[in-house]
Amino acid sequence: MQKWWIQLVAAWVASAALVVSAQVTPDAQVKAVATDVTGILKSDPSILNNQAKLRDLIEAKLVPNFNFARMTQLAMGRNWSKASPEQQATLTKEFRTLLVRTYSSSLSNFKNNVIDYRPLRMQPADTDVTVKTVVQQANGQGIPIDYSMEKGADGSWKAYDVAVAGVSLVTNYRDEFNSVISSQGVDALIKQLQAKNK
Amino acid sequence: MKKVFSLTAVATALLLSGCASFKAAPEGDPLEPVNRGIFSFNNTFDHYLFKPIAKGYDAVVPTPVKTGVSNVFQNMSDAQSIVGGALQLKGAKVGDDMGRVLINSTVGLGGIFDLATPLGIERGNEDVGQALGYWGIGAGPYLVLPFLGPSNVRDLAGRAVDGQADPLSFVSSVPVRNSLTGLRVIDTRVSLFPIEALANQAALDRYTFTRSAYTQRRESLIRDGKAPKE
Repeated sequence: MQKWWIQLVAAWVASAALVVSAQVTPDAQVKAVATDVTGILKSDPSILNNQAKLRDLIEAKLVPNFNFARMTQLAMGRNWSKASPEQQATLTKEFRTLLVRTYSSSLSNFKNNVIDYRPLRMQPADTDVTVKTVVQQANGQGIPIDYSMEKGADGSWKAYDVAVAGVSLVTNYRDEFNSVISSQGVDALIKQLQAKNK
Repeated sequence: MKKVFSLTAVATALLLSGCASFKAAPEGDPLEPVNRGIFSFNNTFDHYLFKPIAKGYDAVVPTPVKTGVSNVFQNMSDAQSIVGGALQLKGAKVGDDMGRVLINSTVGLGGIFDLATPLGIERGNEDVGQALGYWGIGAGPYLVLPFLGPSNVRDLAGRAVDGQADPLSFVSSVPVRNSLTGLRVIDTRVSLFPIEALANQAALDRYTFTRSAYTQRRESLIRDGKAPKE
């Protein structure tokens, strides 16, 4: 009888611990990822000159923190419903590749900069927040980088937009995608993305 | 004569941007065919002239000298920023910019050393185009200016006024003024290298990419980086 009791309490404690570990605040998550990645790059700077290694690092550390399906959908805007499920899947795959490549090519620009984290304004029940950071450059100009993050059903936070100096990645691509789709259609956009990723 | 011209330009631009038809959509680009022509002209010009010169400068000139040159021009633009900030009655920003110019021009030896930044005095980063936007004047159509790149009617008007407060315009010797202007162009071009690399990698179409980024950046500057009102 007593054993059963202890097991129940143990299971309860374990599940509570799981919930706590899943409830990392989004700003702490961004900070942990950034510290981790800059630390790795500092200890082995040769990664920056090795495209394959760099991509592995990004796939392992950064990609899991982004929601590419949501990003693609937002970048497509009202054109999303015009695409068939197959087209949607291809678009998401190609857009993800393009973003990962862009990220890996721009990472070297930020390797030596200090990142400031602005205080997060967030209620415990919030599921959609903006994490504000400022990358300090040597010339005194700080580049604000804001991450729009959403809490998934599993309790983890994933970014669905990044704004650099007020320029939102999703909005920029929405303008680009829309201009291609309105003149040439969804397949033309897919072809352009595939050509870009070759 | 120069003053009369720029005042007329401002008046015309304000008149244009005041027209209701131009306020329609922020993504409005009625001059796209002309803009694309100038955009490709600029790219060709850049490819054969500006970029090679900037690359040579970047490779040959030692980093401390380059930093000093950048700081001097940045100090001048901090001085211009006072005008933009004052037109928006942003007292704190005007104070910061005045403090920066005062410290950097004196202790910083004419702006060669940026001592204000380590002291925590932030750049106001204002201009007259932002001031016009702050007071509710619409951006007007997107423009690509020959040699100067992306703009819009509102920023073109602002630029004309900013030019009046440009410290370089007070240099009386023409050869010196032209040399300094040339050096400033090179300094600006060098600072664009990382952004250019990013745009080349990220953009499907450089023209659309640049237009969207410019428009968003200017709107963000007008709101001082705060989120837009929904």
